[in-house]
Amino acid sequence: MLEPRYGEILQYNNLRGKDIISARDLSREDLEAIFRVADSYEENPSTYRDLLKGKTVALIFVEPSTRTYHSFEKASRILGCEVIGIRDPSISSMAKGENLYDTIKMIESYGADLIVLRHPSRGAALYAAEISRVPVINGGDGSREHPTQAILDLYTIYRKRGSIDGLRIGFLGDLRFSRTVSSLSYALTLFRDVEIYYIAPPMLQIRREVEVYLELRGVKYTKITDIGSAANALRNIDVLYVTRLQKERFPDPGEYEKLRGAYTVTPEILRIARSDVGIMHPLPRVDELSPELDGTPNAWYFDQARWGVNVRVALISLILG
Amino acid sequence: MEEHLLVRKIDMGTVIDHIPPWKAENVLRLLELDKIKRSEYSLIVLHNVPSRKYGRKDMIKIYRHHISHDEADIICLVYPTITVNYIRDWRVEKYKPKIPEKIVGRIRCPEPTCISNSPREPIKSRFRVIGELRAIQCEYCDTMVEFERMADLVIRREGS
Repeated sequence: MLEPRYGEILQYNNLRGKDIISARDLSREDLEAIFRVADSYEENPSTYRDLLKGKTVALIFVEPSTRTYHSFEKASRILGCEVIGIRDPSISSMAKGENLYDTIKMIESYGADLIVLRHPSRGAALYAAEISRVPVINGGDGSREHPTQAILDLYTIYRKRGSIDGLRIGFLGDLRFSRTVSSLSYALTLFRDVEIYYIAPPMLQIRREVEVYLELRGVKYTKITDIGSAANALRNIDVLYVTRLQKERFPDPGEYEKLRGAYTVTPEILRIARSDVGIMHPLPRVDELSPELDGTPNAWYFDQARWGVNVRVALISLILG
Repeated sequence: MEEHLLVRKIDMGTVIDHIPPWKAENVLRLLELDKIKRSEYSLIVLHNVPSRKYGRKDMIKIYRHHISHDEADIICLVYPTITVNYIRDWRVEKYKPKIPEKIVGRIRCPEPTCISNSPREPIKSRFRVIGELRAIQCEYCDTMVEFERMADLVIRREGS
């Protein structure tokens, strides 16, 4: 574990006033600073109470979200920030036809110091950052990216394993439309000797732009499109990151039903995998993680969700501190 | 049968040469030359004429209209063999196209959920060019488009 130092909040300047649109916006140094502050928050939460009193965080959630919304709201309130914004898009001005441009301009005029945006369109967060004079955090833009989820995913690995360098990470499920998988893949390129395995049917395999990003950075990855041949990879990997197969992505419902069971992580899968494999999931799950895993030390997903607040406290402190 | 036997030289305009055979329509689409309505303007398209360098080629002569350097750069991304000559009073000035770093507002992103396709937002599409992969990448949604597909994604301009 890195030494928690509260003073880091004031000393680390690289994130101050910065937009967080993509996991590619972050350096390894940024991530390690966020981890240190997240650790320090856990050890001394009272130090962070009202640290940013007088600041206003706007949460604009144009797409349903429970966990991301709540963890940003809780983190903002812990820091003493006022929280404004849109939670239910169906009753907002956007439902009346207001565009994102005007929404960002209005929120800014209400005195927001930081905007967190969740939006169904890919690229909406970058567009918002171009409009906004205050920093924007991407809280998920369509199937493109969810960088703060990637930060907390890495934080979970770092807390559980102590290091991210040298690990073999497997991704299982719908990788094509998963914004958390692309963001985490981008962020993993910042670490040494990481190897990635993408296990998914061909139609849900990792997107081309993610592959290109890994290739340009010399990160080794393997695509496995037949679940039957995934056993070798499973024996190798340190962390298995599972995402939900989304029924609506399949043109043929029969195909979905056929694959659903094959992509469920069960105790049998654990018997094939390394005994200390960590199972992660951005949650909510449907049936891709057997409840029988919940009590095992391999189930990291509840800690992963819990640490979302630590990471967001750290991130907001470092941007607005 | 050389092209000069088919069409006489022009004193003013642009000649786009060494287009791969039967691809001239894609170049016309990229340049939106059908939108130009000036009366003195003419367009001559030659398909599949002999070429010393490539065997066969297409060629476009645009009489009394000069395409911009930006436009020349974009069509050369799609067909790198193309050469562009500007003619002024019979004098020929060759232009060596450059690979642009960005293409703004000219190509529609093929990803339907990209914010740049939202009709309610005042936004222009923006692509970065990745020359080594012969592709462009949407700066908003990261979708990659091979150079060869760009002709199908040209944003049609209003009148001209």
